[in-house]
Amino acid sequence: MEQYQKYIRNFCIIAHIDHGKSTLADRIIESTGLVSHRDMREQFLDNMELERERGITIKLQTTRITYQAKDGNEYVFNLIDTPGHVDFTYEVSRSLAACEGAVLIVDATQGVEAQTLANVYLALDENLEILPVLNKIDLLSARPDEIKLEIEEIIGIDAHEAPLISAKEGIGIEEVLEHVVSDVPCPKGNPEGKLKALIFDSYYDNYKGVVSYTRVFDGKVRKGDMIRLMNTGKKYEVTEVGTYVPGPMPCEELSAGEVGYVCASIKQVADARVGDTITIDADPADEPLPGYKKAQPMVYCGIYPAEGEKYESVKDALEKLQVNDAAFHFEPETSTALGFGFRCGFLGLLHMEIIVERLEREFDLGVITTSPSVIYRVVMNSGEVIMIQNPTNLPDIMEIDHVEEPIVKADIMIPKEYVGSIMELCQDRRGRMIHMEYITEARVLIHYEMPLNEVIYDFFDALKSKTRGYGSLDYEFIKYEKSSVVKMDILLNKDLVDAFSMIVHESKAYVRGRFVCEKLKEIIPMHQFEVPIQAAIGQKVIARETVKAYRKDVTAKCYGGDISRKKKLLEKQKEGKKRMRQFGTVEVPQEAFTAVLKYDDNK
Amino acid sequence: MTVGIYVHIPFCVKKCSYCDFLSFEGEQAPIHEAYAEALVKEIELLSQVYSKKYLVNSIFIGGGTPSILALSTVSGIMHAVRAAFHVEKDAEITIEANPRTLSALKLESYLSAGINRLSIGAQSLDDAVLKSLGRVHLSRDVFDCYGMARAAGFNNINLDLMFGVPGQTFEIWKSTLDEALGLEPEHVSFYSLQVEEGTKLHEMLAAGAVEGVSDELDRKMYHFAAKALQGAGYCHYEISNAAKPGLECKHNVKYWSMANYLGAGLGAHSYIGGARFGNVRSLEKYIEMGSKRSGELTEIGALREWVHENDPADDMSEYMFTGLRMMKGISTEDFENRFGRRLVDVYAKEWPAVERYISGGFLIFEGGMLRLSEKGVDISNRIMSEFMLGSGRRPR
Repeated sequence: MEQYQKYIRNFCIIAHIDHGKSTLADRIIESTGLVSHRDMREQFLDNMELERERGITIKLQTTRITYQAKDGNEYVFNLIDTPGHVDFTYEVSRSLAACEGAVLIVDATQGVEAQTLANVYLALDENLEILPVLNKIDLLSARPDEIKLEIEEIIGIDAHEAPLISAKEGIGIEEVLEHVVSDVPCPKGNPEGKLKALIFDSYYDNYKGVVSYTRVFDGKVRKGDMIRLMNTGKKYEVTEVGTYVPGPMPCEELSAGEVGYVCASIKQVADARVGDTITIDADPADEPLPGYKKAQPMVYCGIYPAEGEKYESVKDALEKLQVNDAAFHFEPETSTALGFGFRCGFLGLLHMEIIVERLEREFDLGVITTSPSVIYRVVMNSGEVIMIQNPTNLPDIMEIDHVEEPIVKADIMIPKEYVGSIMELCQDRRGRMIHMEYITEARVLIHYEMPLNEVIYDFFDALKSKTRGYGSLDYEFIKYEKSSVVKMDILLNKDLVDAFSMIVHESKAYVRGRFVCEKLKEIIPMHQFEVPIQAAIGQKVIARETVKAYRKDVTAKCYGGDISRKKKLLEKQKEGKKRMRQFGTVEVPQEAFTAVLKYDDNK
Repeated sequence: MTVGIYVHIPFCVKKCSYCDFLSFEGEQAPIHEAYAEALVKEIELLSQVYSKKYLVNSIFIGGGTPSILALSTVSGIMHAVRAAFHVEKDAEITIEANPRTLSALKLESYLSAGINRLSIGAQSLDDAVLKSLGRVHLSRDVFDCYGMARAAGFNNINLDLMFGVPGQTFEIWKSTLDEALGLEPEHVSFYSLQVEEGTKLHEMLAAGAVEGVSDELDRKMYHFAAKALQGAGYCHYEISNAAKPGLECKHNVKYWSMANYLGAGLGAHSYIGGARFGNVRSLEKYIEMGSKRSGELTEIGALREWVHENDPADDMSEYMFTGLRMMKGISTEDFENRFGRRLVDVYAKEWPAVERYISGGFLIFEGGMLRLSEKGVDISNRIMSEFMLGSGRRPR
């Protein structure tokens, strides 16, 4: 081991959503005096507005901290934050691979959750030293002893000495830091060896191009090096290396064991994909670091400019987002109802929602999203196999031998009193129970195999709703399986609106059709004529509702010249209309597209 | 330049069940007088700003129930207006009256104060409907006071009528209309009942105590009335108004044609010199300010609850939606002269929707005029909303 490596600690914080990961990261940064309290926004590492609002971390932020330990030595901490959602499992695994240890936060009031477990397993896969920490100890409902036992029982790690902290109140932070010094192993690796550096995150900077967060395992990288990305094979010249403290601070070189950033005039994030290995082009490593995966979108939907938006502006925005998001794909497509737009691929539903919200907030664009769809594997009579991610493209039923749909393995953790209602929910979503285990007396982990199609609509909302927020979910793709799915169309005033078409399981078509028709009836405003809403499979109508015609929308008088009140009403009416989309003769509010997907508690 | 003056009298014997106007029931004469005093002071202040530049060619004393005031109070207000402004000789001067509160003496004193138009709040000539509206008078009172007004010498009378009232059948409406036309008033306002939140009627409808009139019936009543009035020689000149030719209400037409008007009194609205503003709505505050007022011009600001300087987008939007209330519609030429831009250019984005309304027969675009058709009236809010340009600033 090299001398300098002795004083480096590379670690991350893993937790379930809301267990306080970002808050602890903030406290750690704050306590080492890097950012003054005044400059500190809540949750420093979650630097996207959207992330702060949702209380989740989407993009990683990494920070280098120096810590004066009680043993008298000064340590360099590389704190690597990880995204906290099921859609980003791969990104999490690569961040973990950059570390030697992980601080595992468990909420002392809630205990171990499905995602905690998922993250712990990922950390164990990477052979990380795990340091359990009990957070929210200041709350009256904290049950530290019980939760310690739970950690030991469920995860099988010693939680005996787990620090009891409150990240919010700043209690126990130093103890955590001391544990990092004593328990997290220092990095190894040969600084004189051939360069092997792992990209665990990238973002696009307008001036520098792609900035890649990198963990060097062997060798050194410095400005001017000609590097090669081993999985894509592309070559670049390094323009800058440095560390985040937490702002970028250029340095001479990054050596084995260190964490920092590398810039090499790379034009888009997809070219510096998370998990890729940087090596020196002239003297490459024998093989790349393990674990590289190409980003694989699981969920697709159409994104169309809303009325009055330009196609080109949406395209520009999507391109800008893609530059920064290797997992996001898009290509042009056309819809009869919505005109020119894009078919977009996402890791999951959350990823999709985030992209759509960013389009609206950061780019101030109004867009319409169509029903999300998974990718179906369609086997034709001819034996040809095609992958379909847009319901409208499903070939004629007569030409299809069979259709296969993606199945995920879903791990659901819930308090035991909800087992009944959750089993019912999963049954309803065509889930197959693999097994169920009591991980403690009060908590149950149920393993299901479930069609992804059933998960993406509203399963998570339903799970949360039925367990009063206590249920948690983790899922991953396992296989394709033959399934009887059909394409269901929606007709408004007899015109098919392709943007509403969806692929559903035969057994659920009626229920789904009725639900969509009812929802649309609520949302579509009255017109000058009756508007029939129909759900149909092929020529067969399976559900129908009617929006009545309105007869009267008139103001009798504006008293005493008070026109400001009427003006406000008319402005509001016009605002409402802006969000409308004309389909043939029918005006449909844009929220109709998302509303037909939302879980309805009363149903 | 000319201006109309609106004077608000916020008092009633009793609040009607549908009323959400700014008015108070049960106040006594001392309050009325204190209010009138404050009103007179406001009129004096207004004159300091506007009387040099503007001639008054219409006055409208509305409410509430202006006829609830003692006759000397009304004369006092009229006197104040005349003292403060130059009122044109042939100015149209209207007072609103509730049939129950009129007397021959009052009517005579109105005439001698120069008031030359009477607007009678008849609302219905069916006692059951009047009861449902919470009116304090009966149909008989309407006939009585109408006769008195004619006898006193009023030769320009409006009758306010309402339809779409809970309990009102088509037959009842038809006979009210027949009887009203039999009186041969110069002007008829026919309002579709608007049920506003917070009113007694709204509560009653929500509780199911009374049953509302269907939209279909309401529209049938409306179109019947419009036709009957035209048949009787009236000009249907605004959504809810009809008049014998030449006797359209000049003052109200100002509201629909972006003309200047000044509002005096509690909560009164003004549009003058490109700005809109509204007065405070607290009676106590208004009277108190009046009692302390020294006549300094700087005090006028305190009366305003809000002020909004219109920008061109405001003016164009308002021009369109108020102008479309007039059945003759808006003139594209006038639009262009006023705003220096062509209507179709300003509303290029909205034009496809406008064309849909034209081809659907809801809007009529001919001879350089854009107007609502009779059936367009039924959905006029929707149509008008197309012409709202939206502005960054809103009246607060």
